[in-house]
Amino acid sequence: MEGILFKIFGAFITALLAFTVGMLFGGLRRKVIARAQNRVGPPVYQNFLDLLKLQSKTTNIAHGFMGHMAPVWIIIAAMTTLMFIPVLQGDLWFENLTMKGDLIFLLYMMVFGNLGMALGAGQSGNPNSVLGVSRGLSQLVGFEIPYFLAITALMLQFQTTTIAEFLNIQAETGVWIVLQNPFAFIAAVLASLGMFMYAPFNIVGAPAELASGPRAEFGGKYLGTMMTGGAVFAFIKLVLMVDLFLGGAGNNNLEGIAGTAVGLLELLLKTFLFYMIPVFVAIVSPRYRTEQAIRFFWKWPTFFGILAIVWALYKNGTFN
Amino acid sequence: MEIIAIILLILLVGSMLTFLIDSFSSKLTGITAFLFSLAASVVFFTQIPSGYQFKFQLAGLDLQWGLTDYSYYFAYIIFGMSVLALLYSIKYMEGKGRLGYFYGSFLLTILGMFGVVISQDFVSLFIFWEIMTWASFLLVIYNAYYKVKTKGVKYMIFSAIGAYAMLTAIVFIRVHYDTLLISEAIAKGAFNFEQYIYIPIFLLLGFSIKAAVMPFHVWAPSAYSKSPMSFTTIFSGAMSKMGVFGIGLVFTSIYLGTNPENFYWVRTILGWLGGITAVMGTIYALIQTDAKKLLAYSSVAQLGYIVVGLSTGTKLGIMAALYLTVIHAVFKGALFMVAGAVEKQAGTTDMTKISGLIRRMPWTFLVALVSIIALAGMPPVGGFVGKWLLYEALITESNNYILVVVVFFSSTAAFLYSYRFLYGLFLGQEEKDTKDVKEAPITMLIPMLILMIIAIVSGAVPGLIFEPAAKAMEAIGFQDVTWQMSSLTNLWGDTTNLGLISMLIGAVFVIVFVFITLKGYKNTKDVGTKDISTSGEIPKEWENLSFQQDFFQPFQRAAAPLYSMNMNKIWKNLGENLEAFFGFFRKLYTGNGQTYALYVVIFLVVLLLFKDVIFS
Amino acid sequence: MVITPVHYIVAPLIAAFAIPLLIKIHKDAARIVPGIVLFYNVIVSLFLMNHIAEHGMISETLAGWQAPWGINLVVTPFTGFLATMVSILGFIIWLYGYRFKRTLKGGEVKYYEILQMMMIAGSIGIIITGDIFNMFVFIEIVGISAFSLTAFYRSRDGAEAGFKYLLIGGFASAFLLLGILIIYTQTGTLNMAQIAERMPDVPQQMKIVALIFFLVALGIEAEMFPLNGWAPDAYSQAPSPTSATFAAVVSVAGVYALIRVVFTMFDVEGVNNYLMVMGFVTMLIAEIAAISQKDLKRMLAYSSVGQVGLVLIAFGIGSNLAVFGALFLMLNHGVIKSLLFMAGSYFIYNTDDKKIKSLNGIYKKLPIVSFFFALGALAIIGFPPFSGFWSKFYILISAADEKYVFLIIGILLVTIIELTYYLRVVGRIYFAKQEGEPASHKPSINALVAMSSLALFIIVIGVYPDLIMPHIQSAADALLDKSNYIQQILSIKN
Repeated sequence: MEGILFKIFGAFITALLAFTVGMLFGGLRRKVIARAQNRVGPPVYQNFLDLLKLQSKTTNIAHGFMGHMAPVWIIIAAMTTLMFIPVLQGDLWFENLTMKGDLIFLLYMMVFGNLGMALGAGQSGNPNSVLGVSRGLSQLVGFEIPYFLAITALMLQFQTTTIAEFLNIQAETGVWIVLQNPFAFIAAVLASLGMFMYAPFNIVGAPAELASGPRAEFGGKYLGTMMTGGAVFAFIKLVLMVDLFLGGAGNNNLEGIAGTAVGLLELLLKTFLFYMIPVFVAIVSPRYRTEQAIRFFWKWPTFFGILAIVWALYKNGTFN
Repeated sequence: MEIIAIILLILLVGSMLTFLIDSFSSKLTGITAFLFSLAASVVFFTQIPSGYQFKFQLAGLDLQWGLTDYSYYFAYIIFGMSVLALLYSIKYMEGKGRLGYFYGSFLLTILGMFGVVISQDFVSLFIFWEIMTWASFLLVIYNAYYKVKTKGVKYMIFSAIGAYAMLTAIVFIRVHYDTLLISEAIAKGAFNFEQYIYIPIFLLLGFSIKAAVMPFHVWAPSAYSKSPMSFTTIFSGAMSKMGVFGIGLVFTSIYLGTNPENFYWVRTILGWLGGITAVMGTIYALIQTDAKKLLAYSSVAQLGYIVVGLSTGTKLGIMAALYLTVIHAVFKGALFMVAGAVEKQAGTTDMTKISGLIRRMPWTFLVALVSIIALAGMPPVGGFVGKWLLYEALITESNNYILVVVVFFSSTAAFLYSYRFLYGLFLGQEEKDTKDVKEAPITMLIPMLILMIIAIVSGAVPGLIFEPAAKAMEAIGFQDVTWQMSSLTNLWGDTTNLGLISMLIGAVFVIVFVFITLKGYKNTKDVGTKDISTSGEIPKEWENLSFQQDFFQPFQRAAAPLYSMNMNKIWKNLGENLEAFFGFFRKLYTGNGQTYALYVVIFLVVLLLFKDVIFS
Repeated sequence: MVITPVHYIVAPLIAAFAIPLLIKIHKDAARIVPGIVLFYNVIVSLFLMNHIAEHGMISETLAGWQAPWGINLVVTPFTGFLATMVSILGFIIWLYGYRFKRTLKGGEVKYYEILQMMMIAGSIGIIITGDIFNMFVFIEIVGISAFSLTAFYRSRDGAEAGFKYLLIGGFASAFLLLGILIIYTQTGTLNMAQIAERMPDVPQQMKIVALIFFLVALGIEAEMFPLNGWAPDAYSQAPSPTSATFAAVVSVAGVYALIRVVFTMFDVEGVNNYLMVMGFVTMLIAEIAAISQKDLKRMLAYSSVGQVGLVLIAFGIGSNLAVFGALFLMLNHGVIKSLLFMAGSYFIYNTDDKKIKSLNGIYKKLPIVSFFFALGALAIIGFPPFSGFWSKFYILISAADEKYVFLIIGILLVTIIELTYYLRVVGRIYFAKQEGEPASHKPSINALVAMSSLALFIIVIGVYPDLIMPHIQSAADALLDKSNYIQQILSIKN
């Protein structure tokens, strides 16, 4: 009983952490972009303020049952995915269900929320929302291919599909996977550019053109909940990348609370650094049309993905 | 009398009876057909154990009917889907003409499918296969809305090519191995790719055509979409699985081989064909504007996955194929029923004509939603299990690293048409002309809901399907097939705990749903689809805000090279050229008596000139 | 023995002369008497079959003249089987045509009935005769009846078709006579058994030249390509019961004659291959021609030619199983094609022209007839569980036994062509948009009985072929056992 309670508490902590970090990073991004454009920009905690405002709105508009359900879907996807991702290696608080699911499952679970939001957007009846959905889904097919190639390469190279195992392998060998299979890393990074949907892949939302796309008809508590989910998702994506390629976090020899604290710092640092890749790309990029974006993902990232698989096969000795 | 013959007799009598009853009361036909199918399945499931056998002689040939665990597995699908489809038909077919004809052929088709799985010798297999084929052909051409000359006959021609390929293989099995029993032929290595390679190749050809594998899939989309939906439910759900049944059977010799790399090239070719089928089916599905056509193409794609699974030849791969066989029957059956319900209630399934049915047909939408989640392969519904098994089989147990990406591409692109289907029919603007649409009748909803529940349950406890599937695999030569009730494990020992996932999702769902619903409950306004913000204005009542044409245009543009390859056109050209060629020969018959007389004389002279060559 | 094979011949001949007299007594005599005669033939057949099953084959010499001069009738299991089949089908066709009013428009019903009866009787004669010259005589009887029946409607097309038939038929007679002459000069006998016995002594060149004349002459009767130019026209212009008779009776007799000559009389090598190749060519060209036909009866005619081609292939393969398959196919072809012609003629009867495209949606007008047509179409393509399947199956098995892979593939590809055009018609009948008024001519009860009995045969034999297979098997055995045939006939004679 105590174990379960502890686990639930751990899950709660994880969720809180993901939410905070996700929101904070969102604020940081706005700040960074502003500074790059020589503006002052909003404060880092601006996203929290936005959320507070949205959640305290007195009137909420729903366009039907699926519209009502869309935020629920996103939260389901976010929470479920989060539970299966090792946030800190070897730390009981953040262990959750990490050994009970694998990469293929995560791959599908992460799309789950998008589909829910798409359905909600569909019911709103706003053609702009659906246009956004159409673009978003098309782009999804674009970036999932190199991403899947990269993941497959890792699975082949290390003969496992569980993320925790990847962490163990990196801890044992002491070499991050980014060095063990650099091509997979390149493919994954390029794919993650699409995943974050910042410029040049931001045509889905395209505020000036589509009135923020799929989310156009959401407001108040709905938008607020969706924002929360989005923040958690941003965290998930970053942690996943860090876990897979950058050795994860929390792999230190310190005991107790100190170990956790150092681990968390390490995590924040790594995720922040990784997060800056899409952010900086966004700063210097214009916007791709959807088909251009898809074509982009099917060219170089896919090439690197295939290279990654060949590399993985070479490494695990299939060619010998 | 043998119990198995009684089942066939029940179906046969039912078929004739419904045909006759139609002249007295067309209302009774549906109920009669349903009751007969129910009776047949009850007798089957209560009276026939697995391992049952019945031998007899006909036309000087030794025939044998019986059931192994493998065929039992497919019998589940056949009877389950048939009973549900017939229950659904009662209301769906109401008011349409020629019901006796429809139900008569329907029961005959069931008889044919059942016959195929109980056949343990090649002659009965072929006989039942052909009965199944022509009975279903009668149903395919039931809707006379289109030119009979091309579409319906296309199905039949391709089926015939397949069937005759099988027949060729069968007669040569008899010559080379001196047996017509399937088990004996397998034991003697008839399906071995080393000895007489054309035997397994021809058999595979025959079965793959039924399973709509590239490049013989062109019959499928039109046949699926033009048949009455209640029939397409088992057409795509159960009958196409007969092809899977056969491919599995032919591959038995491969599975039995001690060397796992046995006939790797055959499996690679078939696997790639399956993969390309999946891609082609998917990309054509997502440009359709007719929901039925969309589902039809999607069926082709899903069958591609199953073939990929079979082609791996590994335990996990076969398990994936068998599991997908069932789950595809379940969710695609449900989706075709949904399309049928929409067609029945709203008059069309053309997505450019109707939209926003969610408020009119909420239960139908619920079924569609769950089935689409299953189709897209997302957790926690059953479809995910199949996808997981397939990917893990390809990655961990077989060497098809590129094929897995092809499959993944296809199943990612499947999200597009999944969304398209839901959006096109149920979401979007609520138009005036669909205002009077009512929810589907209860007898149509019940089978749909049953299928939906199966899809949900199988996502949490797939062991319910694994158990008979594992038995089936043991029947075709695998040893020690392991499975768990509610979690998945691959070769490397990585597990995914589905029970836990389902519980977690359920818990989060309840919490967030309650939270979202209760929070600001009084201040939440539920407004219609016209009350939206478009550039700050409120759109007028008459403004057209439906977005249905060229839905995935960006994707279409990006994937333009893929669309340029059109198998349909190639076959069509082939057919037309052949007919033109035939026309040339036909001109030999000039209709002129003098010419004919000349032929006679010339023929005589030629024979006399070459008499030493021809006769010795 | 009360009933002897000669009854086959005598009864129709007496009737043919009696009808013009009887018609003075009762005006329906012309229609009823042939029926009685044909029914009597059925009884004769069944009796004889029963007899030979117990006592072995019958060889009867007429008027005490011994072979080679006398007329010699032979009933073996093989000829008995064919004679039974022909007489039963002949009777059913008579039953079907009993009230075929349209015949009254053109010619007079008594001529029609007499000619029809003589054609069937002549065909039986071809089958049971034991000497080659009589065969020639019977072929002429059949030919003359057939020519006149083809031109029965006295229309321009009918006359043209009749003339073509006559022209080509003239060639057949001339060549046949030439062949007989050569054989007679070489062997000094006309009895087929005796010819077969003396054949080894005939010089090879002579033998082959004679064979070629026979092959061409009988090839015309058996509708072998390229000698079958007359067939489509004749089939399509003749009255429909006659077309059915052509398919079910006359072509059977033609094939019989060819097979008897090739298998029993001659012992030339290469003739099997010849049959196989020409059979295949015949089938291929006929089915190819059928697919582009616009006229229903022409389509059926080409399809008949195609079936005969398949029969010839099977005989060409020559093994016991193949001959068995060939005989089974002949039976099936006779039954199914009769049914198709019968059903098809009601379609034509109810439409203005004979075109396939005017069959659109005729299902609603003529449900039962349409059902029979669809059944026949499925059966002739060879779908199980109809009788057509088994014959095709056995032919394929026998081809496989000889390892003729390409032949099998060829046969099956041609079957696909066949399937295409039949199903187009079936699809049209059932599913094309309907135009026009309700049917003006419902099928009469006797026609329905005739068609149902054929349909019943198709289904029953399809589900349980064992009913008929022993008879076909013994027929096949009898055909292939040449020495026994010779021995028996010569021993009976002496």
